[in-house]
Amino acid sequence: MIQLAAPDFSAGLASALEALEAPRVDIPVIQPAEPFLDMAGEDLRRRIFLTESETGESLCLRPEFTIPVCSAHIAQSVATPRRYSYLGQVFRQRREGGNEFYQAGVEDLGEPDEARADARALSEARALIAQFVPGADLSIILGDQSVFEAVVAGLGLPAGWQKRLVHAFGNAQALEAMMARLASPDSAARPDPSVAGFLATEDVAGLEAHIEQVMQETGYSTHASRSPAEIAARLIGKQSLDSTRLSAASLDALKAFLALDVPLDRAASALAGFARDAGLDISGAQQAFKARLDALSERGEDLGAIHWRAAFGRPLDYYTGLVFEVSAGSNNLVLAGGGRYDRMMTLLGAREPIPAVGFSLWLDRIETVRAGK
Amino acid sequence: MTLTVALPSKGRMKDDAIATLARAGLTVSAIGNDRSYRGRIDGIDDVEVAFLSASEIARELGAGAVDFGVTGEDLVRESLARADERVEITARLGFGNADVVVAVPDIWKDVDSMADLGDVAADFRSRHGRRLTIATKYWRLTQNFFSTRHGIQLYRIVESLGATEGAPASGAADIIVDITSTGSTLTANHLRVLSDGVILRSEACLVRARKTAHDNDSRVAALIEAVRSAS
Repeated sequence: MIQLAAPDFSAGLASALEALEAPRVDIPVIQPAEPFLDMAGEDLRRRIFLTESETGESLCLRPEFTIPVCSAHIAQSVATPRRYSYLGQVFRQRREGGNEFYQAGVEDLGEPDEARADARALSEARALIAQFVPGADLSIILGDQSVFEAVVAGLGLPAGWQKRLVHAFGNAQALEAMMARLASPDSAARPDPSVAGFLATEDVAGLEAHIEQVMQETGYSTHASRSPAEIAARLIGKQSLDSTRLSAASLDALKAFLALDVPLDRAASALAGFARDAGLDISGAQQAFKARLDALSERGEDLGAIHWRAAFGRPLDYYTGLVFEVSAGSNNLVLAGGGRYDRMMTLLGAREPIPAVGFSLWLDRIETVRAGK
Repeated sequence: MTLTVALPSKGRMKDDAIATLARAGLTVSAIGNDRSYRGRIDGIDDVEVAFLSASEIARELGAGAVDFGVTGEDLVRESLARADERVEITARLGFGNADVVVAVPDIWKDVDSMADLGDVAADFRSRHGRRLTIATKYWRLTQNFFSTRHGIQLYRIVESLGATEGAPASGAADIIVDITSTGSTLTANHLRVLSDGVILRSEACLVRARKTAHDNDSRVAALIEAVRSAS
């Protein structure tokens, strides 16, 4: 049966959220669709409920809260740091479960002490789940894209390859395909004869002028889309991208890193051991990672009960650091998920970068686990 | 039970479909005048022919409103979610050949493959303040190919219902996903298909709606067998 009313524990949850110094915000159910499609990509279109206003504006039933909460914050241009909470219905087409269900959560915007804010988000999510699913055996996993970024940078790959790998972080299949290519690169595709001469002599100015001329002759605007300078720069960079081969040692290091899966109380030493074995200097990332561990300990979190999985991430470009999930129940349902999305606020139009971290709770799944299913 | 076979209602597709059935020993005759939208297959009882537009045929097959249809695989896969669960391609007919492809401006000399395009898409927002845009009428095929097959999420589709190949030059979109048979229209518009940019090699097919009633119907097996041997 599909549960349409808010689960009976939501009143208790609402007061628990209020106690977290995060004032509740109300978000209209009908939202402009653009920001969601723009942030999450075209793939989301299949999963949201779209409609159109009379004037042709694309509208949708809110598929989640984070984007509208952040947009509202930007529109009101209020000072940071600032925390918000929400609780309400969201609408998404899902393979399993109903298409309308409840979510609650907290967004923490502009807290400069990132380790503290990260720890607070995870800790609050864990405590809320523990409070509303008492006695459940929780499994918590944590990932951190910034550590992966440091490892990839430490391996000395060209910037283009670093970007590719970081972009694929969290998508195991795509990462594997890229690593296979790095192990045995294709024989570099020979450059087009029309540009080979410029590449051979590294004549950047000549290449740009050539591209600009062709664009003008063929009726392509030189500024509406990719510019001659952008194409020329990437064409030159690509020569090294195609022929880049990762040494067996570096490839092994990358694989060894992605295979790391340890409880947080051993994570710092596992990371240090990895860096030592691989001969990488990633001390900046190690310090930030350690600071978060300390902040979690300070909040009284049991580090032995949280797993760090090095390969755990989300392949969306606004996630930048921490991601985590709290699961429970016989099917190990994800009851809470969260992470750091420092890039989102500027993508949504904030003038200054605003660090942001948050989490959301899946109320229908919590209800399932509460019912002992 | 009457079996309904949907055939394209006009043009080359109609002529080729009728010719293929004729080679299979199945003569289609229109009921009433030859502009009629209904017909029969001579010699088989209780088989009705409906002349519909090719994209309507795909939709009607998905809804189970017709039993068989002759239409392009591109339209079947574009119109129907999880097409293989709902319909079966029983024979490829060797006409109406066309590829659904990803094409970029030829002057993007740095973009040969989907991996290159993935790089460009990932950086697009920070360079241009907007996502990479794709002009197409093939929403579903594009999404499957970009997201599922190539892990490219960050792009926007601009719906294009005609003259798609002109979109990049006019500035309506950055690249296109469109159908091409000889490639000459793409070349004329200074577009180039990526080396791994063929989404689907499509042709006209005899497509069956998956219905349990077909299991014990000898006419169904006979029709498939006849068309297979003729195509």
